[in-house]
Amino acid sequence: MTMSVTRELPADAPVVGPDVTLTSLSHEVSNRVLMERAPRWWWVGFGLSFPLFILFVIQLAWLFNYGIGVWGVRIPVAWGFAIAEYVWWIALASGGTIVSALFFLTRSPWRSATNRIAESMLLSAVPCAGMMPIMHLGRPGFFYWLFPYSSVMGVWPQVRSPLWWDFICLICYILMSIFYYYAGILPDLATVRDLAQTRFKKIFYGVLALGWHGSTRQWQNQRITYAIMSAIMAPMVVSVHSVVGLDYAGGLTVGWHSTQFPPYFFFGAVISGTAVIVMLTILVRWGYSLQNVLTEYHLNALAKVVLTGSVMLGFAYVWEAFGPIYGSDVAARTEFLQRMFGFTAPTFWSEKILNVVIPQLLWIPFVRRNQPLLFLICLGIIVGMWQERYTFTISGLANNYIPSYWGVFYPTVWDWAALAGTIGLFLTMFFLFLRFAPIVSIAEVREIIEEEKSK
Amino acid sequence: MSPLNQRARTYWRSLEELAEKPEFATFVEREAPRFRDIVNAFDRRRFLQLMAASMALGGLSACGPEPNPRQLLPYVDIPENVVLGRNRYYASAITQDGYATGVLVSHIAGRPIKVEGNPDHPASLGGASASMQASILTLYDPQRAQLVAAHGQIATWENFVGALHDRRKRLLARKGDGLRILTGAMTSPSLIAQIASVQKQFPGMRWHQWEPLNRDSEHAAAIMGFGKPVDRAFDLRKAERIFGIGSDLISTAPGNLAYARDFAAARRPAETGGTMSRVYAIESTPTLLGAKADHRLAMRPDEIARSLRYVAGLLGAGPQDWTQQESAHATWLKAAAVDLAAHRGATLVHAGREQPVEVHLLADAINDKLGAIGTTLRLIAPVQADSEPQRQSITELADDMASGKVDTLFILGPNPVYDAPADLDFAAKLRHVPFSVCLSLYDDETAVACTWRIPAAHEYERWGDARAFDGTVTIQQPQARPLYGGHSPYEILAILLGSPITDDYTMVRDYWHQRAQQENRGDFDAFWHGSLRVGVVPKTAEPTISAALQSNLAAKLPPTAAPRANGLLALFRADEGNWDGSCANNAWLLEMPRPFTRLTWDNAALIAPSTAEQLGLSTQDVIEIAVGQTKVNAPVFVLPGQAADCVTLPLGWGHTAGGLGAGVGFNAYRLRPSPSEWATPITYVAKTGDKYRLATTQGQDRILGRDLVQEGTLEQLNDSPQSIVKKSKPESLYPEYQYPDRAWAMAIDLNSCIGCQACVIACQAENNVPIVGKDQVLDGRVMHWLRIDRYYSGPADAPDTTFEPVPCMHCENAPCEVVCPVHATVHDHEGLNLMVYNRCVGTRFCSNNCPYKVRRFNFYPYAFERDRPPNSWNPEVSVRDRGVMEKCTYCIQRIRTTQIDAERENRKIRDGEIVTACQQTCPTQAIIFGDKNDRDSAVVKRKATPIDYVLLDDLNTRPRTSYSAVIRNPNPAIEEKQS
Repeated sequence: MTMSVTRELPADAPVVGPDVTLTSLSHEVSNRVLMERAPRWWWVGFGLSFPLFILFVIQLAWLFNYGIGVWGVRIPVAWGFAIAEYVWWIALASGGTIVSALFFLTRSPWRSATNRIAESMLLSAVPCAGMMPIMHLGRPGFFYWLFPYSSVMGVWPQVRSPLWWDFICLICYILMSIFYYYAGILPDLATVRDLAQTRFKKIFYGVLALGWHGSTRQWQNQRITYAIMSAIMAPMVVSVHSVVGLDYAGGLTVGWHSTQFPPYFFFGAVISGTAVIVMLTILVRWGYSLQNVLTEYHLNALAKVVLTGSVMLGFAYVWEAFGPIYGSDVAARTEFLQRMFGFTAPTFWSEKILNVVIPQLLWIPFVRRNQPLLFLICLGIIVGMWQERYTFTISGLANNYIPSYWGVFYPTVWDWAALAGTIGLFLTMFFLFLRFAPIVSIAEVREIIEEEKSK
Repeated sequence: MSPLNQRARTYWRSLEELAEKPEFATFVEREAPRFRDIVNAFDRRRFLQLMAASMALGGLSACGPEPNPRQLLPYVDIPENVVLGRNRYYASAITQDGYATGVLVSHIAGRPIKVEGNPDHPASLGGASASMQASILTLYDPQRAQLVAAHGQIATWENFVGALHDRRKRLLARKGDGLRILTGAMTSPSLIAQIASVQKQFPGMRWHQWEPLNRDSEHAAAIMGFGKPVDRAFDLRKAERIFGIGSDLISTAPGNLAYARDFAAARRPAETGGTMSRVYAIESTPTLLGAKADHRLAMRPDEIARSLRYVAGLLGAGPQDWTQQESAHATWLKAAAVDLAAHRGATLVHAGREQPVEVHLLADAINDKLGAIGTTLRLIAPVQADSEPQRQSITELADDMASGKVDTLFILGPNPVYDAPADLDFAAKLRHVPFSVCLSLYDDETAVACTWRIPAAHEYERWGDARAFDGTVTIQQPQARPLYGGHSPYEILAILLGSPITDDYTMVRDYWHQRAQQENRGDFDAFWHGSLRVGVVPKTAEPTISAALQSNLAAKLPPTAAPRANGLLALFRADEGNWDGSCANNAWLLEMPRPFTRLTWDNAALIAPSTAEQLGLSTQDVIEIAVGQTKVNAPVFVLPGQAADCVTLPLGWGHTAGGLGAGVGFNAYRLRPSPSEWATPITYVAKTGDKYRLATTQGQDRILGRDLVQEGTLEQLNDSPQSIVKKSKPESLYPEYQYPDRAWAMAIDLNSCIGCQACVIACQAENNVPIVGKDQVLDGRVMHWLRIDRYYSGPADAPDTTFEPVPCMHCENAPCEVVCPVHATVHDHEGLNLMVYNRCVGTRFCSNNCPYKVRRFNFYPYAFERDRPPNSWNPEVSVRDRGVMEKCTYCIQRIRTTQIDAERENRKIRDGEIVTACQQTCPTQAIIFGDKNDRDSAVVKRKATPIDYVLLDDLNTRPRTSYSAVIRNPNPAIEEKQS
C-alpha cells in the first residue's frame, strides 16, 4: 500500500504500477499460464470447487432420472430456484459483459486490466445460467423444440412467448460471448505461444493462436473486429437482460406483471456482475501477485460501478413498492404485503439491506480501498441478489389471484444441490481459465503502459 | 423305487427345494395368489401326471367344442349394434346403507370404465355421488381380497364348500341352533327371501343386521310416533321453507341425490321467476345443508334438543311451557318458527340420522302440525328388511358369542371387528365362535379375525337386487366376471341350504320369475330384459301409506334436559369420503378433499375456533382424546362453523387391515360406545405436544377482497338484479377472435353447488386423473382437474360457506397460450383451450400465467406410480407421463364423439347432447355445458341471467366458464350477522 488511505485517489493516479514494463508484463502474465506447477492456492481453490462440480453432475443425473418432482416446485409455485438462479447467473454474466464491452466503448482505461477477468467470469457463469432453464423443464430432453427448425411435425416455436425470446437471446448471447472473448484473447494466446517452453504447450497455444504473428493488418482487423463486437455486445447485454425481465413482465401473474422489470433486471445485472468481478479481481491480484497490474485504481473504479448499481437498484426498489401500493389492484397490493410480511419476509428485507443499504458504505473512499471490506460487501450483494430473484419469483406465484390456491415454497435438498452444483461449475471453469488462459489482457495493458509513458 | 424314479428325483430335487423356500411362497402369493394352493398341494409326482395329462388333453381339446361355456372370447362375428371403440351402458345399482342408487356403467371394448347415475332411477335421476363414481376403482383394486383362507392359512373354495357341508349336517341335526347370519342393512328382495329359506330350514338361526351409521333413532321415532315402522320420503319441490337439524338430507340420507336435485331446483330464482326456498339449519358440525342454509346456527346437541322444543312449543306442536325456557337464540328461533308457520303445507323439518329419537319425534310433530305430512313428507312402508334396532342386535350377537351360544357365524358384508361399538369388544368375542365365515371385499379386520375368509365379489361382479329409498327395485347385473375370484352371498347361503343351484344369476332370476308370476307381470322374458335394460323394476315403488301421529307425544319425551355443564362432547360422524370405513380403501376417495376441511388422506378432530383458542390448540396439534378408559391420538383441525365444545371425530379411518386405507388416519370407532353412538362426553383432551402434518388443498379460507364469489339476496334479485354482480369490460387493442361455428361454454350455478365433490371424482374417473399420495398433496401437487374451492365469510364461529367449482375457464384470451414457447397449449376454432401433451416440454409458464390456477403438472410419473391395472383406465383419454402439463378439457373426448355422430348423421349437434363428466354426475345440475352460438341452448339462457359473471373479468381473459352468483334468501326478521 503506497497510497494514503484517507484521501481519494488522484485523478491522474497510475493505472498500472510504475515498475511494469512491456516485457515484464508479458512474462508476468504468461508465466502464470506456462508455469509447470500451479501454485498451492490454485490447487486449494480448485480442490474446493471440483467436488461441487461433481455435485453438479450428480444432481443433474438425479434430476433427469427422477424428474422435476425432486425439487420443491409445486402448483402454484411452479417456478422455483431454477428460474431465480437462471436470472441470477445471467445477471452475473451480464455484469461481465457490461464491464468488458460498455467500458471499452467509453474508453475507460481501468477496464483493460480487468476485462479478461470479467470475460472469464462471464464465460464461466453463462453455462450455469444456460443449464438452469433446461434442468427446470419437465421434459428436458425436448428442450431443442424451442429451436426454430423445420421439423417433420411442421410445428414451429410459439414466437409470442417471452420464454422463446429469452431462449433466442440466451443462445445469441452465449455464442457472441465466446467469439468476443476469443477475439480479445487472440494476441495474448500468441504471446503465450511465443513464450511457451514445452512442445505440447507450443502446439496447444499455437493452434489456439490461429497463426497470429502480430502483423499490422492482423492488428488492424483484430481491433476493428473487437470494437464492432463491443458495440454489438453492449446494447445486446441490455436487451438480453431486459428480455429475461420480460419473462416476468410478460406474465399475467400478480407481482410480475409490471413494466419495471426490464430496467430493474438490468440494474441488478450491473451491480451483481460488477460485484463478482471485484471479488475475483481481489482474489486474482492476490493469488497471482499482480498488484502492479491490477492496482487499487481498478478496484476503486469497480467499487464506484457497484455503488452506482446499488443506487439504481434502490430506485427500482422504490418503484417496486410504489406500483402495488399506489395502484388499485387488490391482488397486487395483497401480494406485495405478503412479500414483505409473509413467508418471504426474511429474504425480502435481507435483500434490501444487502443490496442497497450496506453498499452505501462505498461512498467512503476508505471502504472502496479496503479490500477485505470491499470483498465482504460484494459477497453480500451476490447473496442479496440471489435473495431478490428468489423472493419475487416465489412471492408472485404463491400469493396469486385465487386465495384458495395460495401456496408456499419449501426448497428441497436437490434445490440446494442445484445451486451449490452450479456454483461448483462456475468456480471450476473459472479456475481453469485462471490456469490455462492469460487472465489479464497483455495486449491492452501494453497499450496503457505506452500511454502512461507518453504522458 | 425304480431307478428311473430315483434319477428323476435327483433331477428335480432342486426345484422342489425351491418351491419349499419361503421366498418362493411369498413370490407366488404376490405374483399369482390364486395359484399358491396349487403350488402347495402338488408334489412332483402329481405335477408330472398332470403335465402328461394336460399334454394329452391339449391334443384332445382341439377335437371337441370348448368344454367351459364361460370362456371369455373376443368377437369373431361382431354382434349387431356393437361397435368396437364405442361405449355401451349397462344398468345396475350400487348400495350404501343397503339402499340402492341406480347406475349406468359405461363399457368400452367390453371393459367397465365409468359409472354414471341412471336417469331412470328415482334415487339417482342421472346424478351420482363421489363414492358411486369411485366404485369403479374399487372394482379394479388389486389390493382386494383374492384368497380363500381358513385359520389364516390359504385354502381353496372347494375346501370351504367341503367344510360348509360338514357344518350344515351338524346344524341340521340341531335345527340351526347356534347359527347366526350378520349382514348390513338389507333391502335385497331375493337375498331376503333366501335368508328366509335359511330360517325355514334352520329354525334356530338368527339374522342380525348391522350398519355402524345406522338409522336406529329415526326408526325408533317412527315406531313411537306413528305406532309402526315407516320410512319417510320427502318432496323438496314443494318445500318453500326447510328446517334442517343436523340434516343429511342432501348429503347422505337415502335418496340424497334426488333430494339434492329438487333442493337446488327450488333455489334457482334467476331462472325460475324470482322465487326460492328458505333454509334454516341448526347443527353441531357443518353439513352440506347447513352450508347452503340462509340462516344457520351452530349449537351443541343438547342445545339442539332444547331449541327444537322451543320451536315446537311456539308452533303448538308441543306444550306451551316449552316456550318458557330461556334460549340464547330465542329471536332467531322465533323468527324461524313464524316463518314456518306462515308457510303451512310447504315446510319441511328434517333431522339427520345422528339426531336422537327425541329430536326425530319433535321433527315429526312439527311436520305434522305444519301439514307437511302428505305434502312435503310422505310415509311409506319400510324399505329395509324387518330388523330389530341394529345397536341392540349387534349387542345381543356379541353377548351370545361371549356366552358360547353362537357356533356358526356368517358375516356377509359388514366389518364389525372394526366398527362395532367399542365396548362390545367384538374381536375378542368372535374368537369364541368355532366356525365364523367372513365374506368381504378386502382382507379387513373382521376377515382376518374369522376362521374362514372368502373374497367377496364386488357389486359389479355379481347378480343381485336392491331397493331404493322409495322402494324401487333394481336388479343388479354384473359388469364383469369376478376379477379376483370373488364370491357372492347367494353362493354361500345356497351351499348352507344344500341347494343344488349355487349360481347367483339363476337364483336371482328364479326369484324374480316366481315373483313376476305372483304379481301377474306377463311375459317373464320381456319383464326381465326390460327391468335389466332400464335398471328399474317397474311398479315397485312403495305407495304412500297413511299413519296418524300419536297425540300427546310430549308426554313420551323425557323431561327437558338441563343445560349441560361445560365439558367437551365427542361427535361421531360419517366421513365424507370414507363413509363408515367401507370406502376407506379407495384411492380417489382418500385423496378427495373433504368439502369443509379440504383435507385429504387423513381425518382430524374438528374443533371450533373458539374452543380451540380456549384449549390452546391449533390445526396440526396432536391431542389425546379420552373417552372413559380409551384413548386415541388425533390431529386437530380448527373448523369454522363447528359448535363450541364439540369435537367431531370422522369415522371410517384408521383401519388396521385391508387395502390402501390401512394405517391411514385415526380410528374414531375405538372411542364410540354403544349407548351413545353419536355424541358422548369426552373425559379429557390433552395436548401431546406433537405436530402432525395435515394435507389440505385449500390455501386461504377467505376471499381477501376479490370478486371471485359474488352474492346477493333474493330481494336484490327481484328489485335490482343488475346490482348483484360487478362487471368490468376492459378494452383490448387486439381484434376479437371469431367463432362462426360453435363456441363451447359452461355455466356453473353457485347457488346449486352443494359442495359434494361428486364432480371432482367424476372428472378423475373420466379423464384418467392420477392420484398423487399424501406427501405430494402436501407438496402442492394434487392433480384434480376440477376442484371445489371453499370460502368463508363472516365471523369464524358462524361463517357463511360458499362452494365454488373451478374447472378450466377456457379463456378466449387465454394467458396460458401466449406464454408456451412450443405451441403445446393452443386454441381451437370452437374456443376450446387445448393441451397437446406430446408437445409439452414442461416449462410450467402456462401454470404461472393461469390466474385461475387450474393447470396441473406431472412432477412425477403419477399415473404409473400406483398399482392400478392398465385395463381400468379410460381408453378415450391419454394417460399423461412425467413432465407434462394437463388440465380440464371440457371432456373433449365426449365433444368429439358427439361431433362425429352428428356429422355421420348429417345434422347439427343438439343442445344437451354433449354432457361433460362433471355435468353428468352433478346431482343438483349446477353445471351446464353447451354451444354459446346456439341462442336457444340452456347454457346461453343461464348466461343471459343478470347474475352471470366470470372470474377476474378485469384481466380480460374472457372465460367461457361463467358463474351464477350466490343468491341468499334471508329472513328479514333475523338480524344480519356482524362480520
